[in-house]
Amino acid sequence: MRLSPQKTGILLILPAVVLICGLLVYPVLYGAWLSLFSKHSFFPEQKFVGLYNYIYLAGDADFWRSLWYGIVYSVSTIVLQIVVGLIAALLVNETFRGRNLVRGILLFPYVIPTVVAIILWKWLLNNQFGLVNYFLLAIGVVDDPLNWMGKDHIMFSLIIISVWEFFPFVVLSVLARLQTIPPVLYEAAKVDGSGAWGRFFHVTLPQLRNVLFVVILLRSIWMFTKFDTVWLLTQGGGAEKYIRTLPVYAYMRTFMYYQAGLGSALAVIMFGFLIASTAIYFKMFRREEEI
Amino acid sequence: MKPSNSFFSWRGQAIYWCAAVLLVLTAFPFIWMVSTSFKPLREIFVYPPYLIPKQFTLANLARLFEQTRFLTYFRNSLFVSFSAVVFTMILATAGAYSLTRFKYFGREKIASLILFTYMFAPIMIVIPFYVLIKKIGLANTHLALIMAYTAFCLPFALWLMKTFFQSIPLALEEAALTDGAGRIRAVIYVIFPLALPGIIATSIFTFILAWNDYIFVRILITSDELKTLSVGIADLYNATVIDWGMIMSGSMLITIPVLIFFVFIQRYLIAGWGAGAIKG
Repeated sequence: MRLSPQKTGILLILPAVVLICGLLVYPVLYGAWLSLFSKHSFFPEQKFVGLYNYIYLAGDADFWRSLWYGIVYSVSTIVLQIVVGLIAALLVNETFRGRNLVRGILLFPYVIPTVVAIILWKWLLNNQFGLVNYFLLAIGVVDDPLNWMGKDHIMFSLIIISVWEFFPFVVLSVLARLQTIPPVLYEAAKVDGSGAWGRFFHVTLPQLRNVLFVVILLRSIWMFTKFDTVWLLTQGGGAEKYIRTLPVYAYMRTFMYYQAGLGSALAVIMFGFLIASTAIYFKMFRREEEI
Repeated sequence: MKPSNSFFSWRGQAIYWCAAVLLVLTAFPFIWMVSTSFKPLREIFVYPPYLIPKQFTLANLARLFEQTRFLTYFRNSLFVSFSAVVFTMILATAGAYSLTRFKYFGREKIASLILFTYMFAPIMIVIPFYVLIKKIGLANTHLALIMAYTAFCLPFALWLMKTFFQSIPLALEEAALTDGAGRIRAVIYVIFPLALPGIIATSIFTFILAWNDYIFVRILITSDELKTLSVGIADLYNATVIDWGMIMSGSMLITIPVLIFFVFIQRYLIAGWGAGAIKG
C-alpha cells in the first residue's frame, strides 16, 4: 500500500500536533476553565464561582504588589540584558586572539541549571563570608557588609543575578545577526565619511532592529513569567515578600494556600500578557511593512 | 574582511581589556565554586578569602555521596532527561521533515501553532497540568515528568529541526528518488546523514532544558527517591545548616554534564541560529 504524499505528511506531523494540543494547549484552556472555580489543590472538590477569582484579585493588595514587582523586575532586567548583551555581542564580533573561547564561556551562565546559578550567587553574596562583600569592604566602597538577601537589597540582587544568567541569550541572538550584515554597508559608510559611532548608529543598529524586537518580545514574556530564579532566591532569606512576582504568587496561592482556582486565574492573567505582547509585536511589524 | 585588531593598538587594547572584564564576570563564579568544592571546611570560611586551596580535599564530595541521595537524584535526572530527548526527537524529526517536505492543508497553521506554543512559560501550564496529571493518577511518577518535558520541548525542537531540514537542498532527495530509491531509502541514506548534526544539536538543547528544569519536578514529584538533581540540590540548600562545601561540590557535579554537552554544540549556536535556538 502506498500513501499519497499529502497523507504521509499529515501522518508524520500528527503525533507532534496531538501532543502539543493535548499537553500544552489543552492545559491552558483547562486552566482558564479552572479559574472559574473555587478548587482545592489536592482534593477533587470544586465549586463554580464564575468570575469571583478575578474580582477577588482586583481587590487584592498582594496581587497588585506582585504585579508591580513583576514589572520592576522584568523591565529592569530586560533593559540591562539588552545593554550588556549588545555590548558583549559587538565585542565578540571583533577579531582577537582567543575569541572563540570567550564566546563559549560567555554563554555558560545561560546553560547551567538555575539552581546552580542561584547557589553560586548566594555564596558570593553571603553577608558574612561572601566574596562580594569582602571585595567591597576591601576597596572601601562600603563600611559595613551589605545584607544582599535583606529586604532593602534583595530586588537589586535578584536583578543582578537574572541579568548575569540571561544576557547570553541576547549575545547569541545579536551575534548571529551581526555575522550576516554585509561588510559592503560598512565600507560604504566609511566612504561617506562616517566615524565608528556613525557606522554603529547608521548601519549596525538599523540592521539589528528586527532581531532586537524579537529578543525584547521573547525576553519580556519569559522574564515576566520567570519562576525558578525568583522562587529559589526567596528561599531562606526572610525577605521573600519583597520579590514576590506574579509567578511566585501564583505558585504560593496554588501550593501553599491550596487555592488552585485562584492560582489558575493568575496563570490566565500571565497568559493574557503573552497574547498581548505577541499582538503588539505583530501589529508593529505589519505597520513597518506598510511604510 | 575587517582589519584584525592588533594587541598594540588603542582599539586592540580596549578590546582585550573589555573581553577580560566580561570573562571574569561570567567565569569567576564557576571558578569560585570549584575552589570552594575542594577546600576543607576551615578554609571555606577563612578571612581574608583566597582562591587556591592550601590543603586540597575530597571530603566535601565524600559527604555528598555518603550523606545525601545525590546518586539517586543523578540517576533520576539522567533517566528522565534522556527519555524526554528520545520522545521529543522522534516526534520533532518526523514533524519537521513533514513540514519542510510535504504540502497539505493546514501546514502553515501548524507552523504558527508551533511558534506560538514555543513562547509558553512553564508557570502558564503547570497548575492545570498538575490538576490533570493528578486526575489521571500519574502524579509523583517519572512518566508525568517525561510527558511534561516532551510537550514543553517539542515546539522548540520542531522549530529548530525545521530550520535544519530547510538547509538541506530538496534536489538531493529528488535525485535519490529519481534514481529509483523509495522515500524511506532516500531519507535513510541521503537525508539522515545530512541532518545528523542538527539532530544531535537539538537533542542536546532538549537535554539541557530537561536537565535544568526545576518547577515541573517541584510540583509533580513528592517522593524523595524520585526527585531529580535540581530539586534535590535546592532541598539540600534549604536544610537547617548550610554545608557550603558539600553544596558547591554538588553544584559542580550537576554543571559538568551540561558544560560537556555545551562544548559540543557551541559551534552550532554561533553558526547563526540566533533567536529561537534556545529557550528559557
